[in-house]
Amino acid sequence: MSYVDVRQHLRLPLLILLCLLLSACNDLLDDLNPSGSDKRGTVVAGSIGNRPGQIAADFTLKDSLGNNFVLSDHLTAGSDPADVVVLYFTMWCPVCLSHSDHMYNTVIPQFTGRGTVVYGLVDFVSGSVSATRAAELANGFAGSAFTTLADTNQGLLDQFNGAMGIVVVIDSDGTILLNEDYRNGTALTTLLDQQLP
Amino acid sequence: MSAVLGVSTTTQAASCCGGGSASSLILPKFSRAMIDVSMDYEHYDGFWDNQGKISMDPQGSDLNQYRLNLGYAQRLAPRWQASVTLPYVWNKNQYANLQRDTSGIGDASLSAWYEAFDKIACVWEVKNWEDLLPAIYWGGTLTLPTGISPYDDVADNFDITGRGAYRLDASVLIDKTIYPWNASISASYGKYLERPVNREYGTYVAPYDKQLGDRVNYIAAFGYTYFTDTMESLTGTLSYAYLKEDQAEIDGVTDTTSGLRKESIAATMAWASEDRDWVAKLTWSHAPQRDGWGRNFPTTNIITAGVSHVLR
Repeated sequence: MSYVDVRQHLRLPLLILLCLLLSACNDLLDDLNPSGSDKRGTVVAGSIGNRPGQIAADFTLKDSLGNNFVLSDHLTAGSDPADVVVLYFTMWCPVCLSHSDHMYNTVIPQFTGRGTVVYGLVDFVSGSVSATRAAELANGFAGSAFTTLADTNQGLLDQFNGAMGIVVVIDSDGTILLNEDYRNGTALTTLLDQQLP
Repeated sequence: MSAVLGVSTTTQAASCCGGGSASSLILPKFSRAMIDVSMDYEHYDGFWDNQGKISMDPQGSDLNQYRLNLGYAQRLAPRWQASVTLPYVWNKNQYANLQRDTSGIGDASLSAWYEAFDKIACVWEVKNWEDLLPAIYWGGTLTLPTGISPYDDVADNFDITGRGAYRLDASVLIDKTIYPWNASISASYGKYLERPVNREYGTYVAPYDKQLGDRVNYIAAFGYTYFTDTMESLTGTLSYAYLKEDQAEIDGVTDTTSGLRKESIAATMAWASEDRDWVAKLTWSHAPQRDGWGRNFPTTNIITAGVSHVLR
């Protein structure tokens, strides 16, 4: 087959491939021509949900030592109230550890002594309390300021539409203040500075 | 997901002489076109943390990515060539109580190369100083964000097959063959373009601008070629690769949790037909699971099998 023949044979498949790429993938166009417009919808204040401004539904998870962690316990009327609950979704990956190390070494020390904050690492991949404990130990967070929570069936991940690196902040009334990627920690730091006495 | 941070191994296509030892999709001198198809299997086995210390993946995890890479190179002029590569990515992630298998197109790339030499720089023996001159290529690559990124309408991080940002790379490749030995070095410097972000993992967020960090990549390779009686060739190549990406910026503020570094070694065996029109390759790339060989990046083993066909 000559070079010209091959080119002619390839032309149609390549054209079809290109059309499929462009027509089937809206996501493809999203990144090729990214938008900077604010497309967040409005939320009904006080409604149950996972967006900022909504109320977080109560949940119960086991921590890495097998104790129950109940969100409502840490709200205003709870048995162990806090000013703010911070949840970080981890799968013990490089990005996750980089974020949680940053939180531990940079964010948490800034607010020591200012109110009460519950910092939770939500492990949604280990699948059991014992495996979560093992991961917590292996990555140096045992005994730290974090409470490591075992989201064994990804229920909390689903509840907050979470993913690796997502940080959720809930105030003492149960209102969600933040639900987004941790990025460089600036949003969390700013929020804690506003919320804590 | 982490594989999308790394270097595509749509490489090792053919050297300037033909035969398969270079580190980029390079068309041999005087050839008109080339088709390259390869398949990567990348297995994740732990990672370097932000301080460069090795950490292990969670118990019960089995994390893998497969990539089918399609490449095409076309000669534009005696000294100019261009190429396009398009990967298709399959993510297969198994954790103790979670399994996610996803797939999608990866980030495509368009390259142009200028050959700073007129004659084939591969010689059998050195008769004068000109025989020592290497083949030098200057190149530019535009990486297109055709993959599925965290900023698309995705369920979570397991869907990711691309970085979500354009990148421009400037590259140089220096290659010298004095049969049966071959050596090459390549270097590239890449700059991501800033982009707006208004969605993360399928959820709209307050818009912000993100710029990934500049990226440098060096590869040094050394190979030996054995010729059969029929002048088919078998080339064995050992290479070392260094990759570093600077920290990203979010709305102009440095993201100190980002940035990465990876060092790896690779061994390639390539068979080429007598006329060098067909090249089959098998590469094993290994990131040593030792402290200090990387930072903020997974340690992986990559096996790549591929075939190139040169059109004269």
